[in-house]
Amino acid sequence: MERSQAVGEQHMELRKLFIPVILGTTRKGRMSEHVAKFVTAEFAKREGVETQLIDIRDLPIPIDDAGQNIRYPAFSEAAMRADAFVIVCPEYNHGYPGMLKHVLDTNLKEYIHKAVGIVGVSAGPFGGTRAIQDLLPVLRELGLVTIFWDGNFSSVQSAFDESGNLLDQAYVRRLDKFMKELIWMAKVLRHGRENISLE
Amino acid sequence: MSKMICPDCGIEMNYHADKVDYNISDSEHIDPDFGGVLEEAHTCPGCGKTHTRALEKSL
Repeated sequence: MERSQAVGEQHMELRKLFIPVILGTTRKGRMSEHVAKFVTAEFAKREGVETQLIDIRDLPIPIDDAGQNIRYPAFSEAAMRADAFVIVCPEYNHGYPGMLKHVLDTNLKEYIHKAVGIVGVSAGPFGGTRAIQDLLPVLRELGLVTIFWDGNFSSVQSAFDESGNLLDQAYVRRLDKFMKELIWMAKVLRHGRENISLE
Repeated sequence: MSKMICPDCGIEMNYHADKVDYNISDSEHIDPDFGGVLEEAHTCPGCGKTHTRALEKSL
């Protein structure tokens, strides 16, 4: 076994998976914030997983330029360290928030061969599915690997109380499936990034 | 192709992807066949960081 491979496998055992949750909207009164906090709390319960809520509202990214020219160091560092991402994505007029894409576009190499799962949020009955479907090809172009489970929070205004407490416990089991799949993919891709050569 | 060494760990990194970066205004390295800069992605098995560089074949 080569030294780098041995070192890699040893470190892989020691390093927790880092899976940040990106809250993908800046709007006032956003119900997605409850979802993002719930999802972050559920990931925090997982052994071997470190998580962090990244609120795109907190990122001082200019809007008069684009891409890697306006990268925000703290966000890029978190993205570099990440093994996978969760994107909490509300559906606005059948689409994903423009600010979410603006923020995602500020990185590239940080995403390559990393897992991503989307948690859709909507006021209506479809759980953000249309925004999810539109976001998938964007994530693919960024170099991310999408999983086949989604989170879907329908009628989100009824899913939480005013303090953000979850009212419908079915979401716990549904999110469990999503998390297991994302964690599995994060492990596989970390192994691949660090050990499987392209050539 | 020369191996990339992790600047933090000093160990050999794993070359696992090529990616076209269309946003780089580095006309010297733009590959005419792809319309952007072809970059190699290398990840360190020690710390997990990924570094990229322009694909050697396109230089």
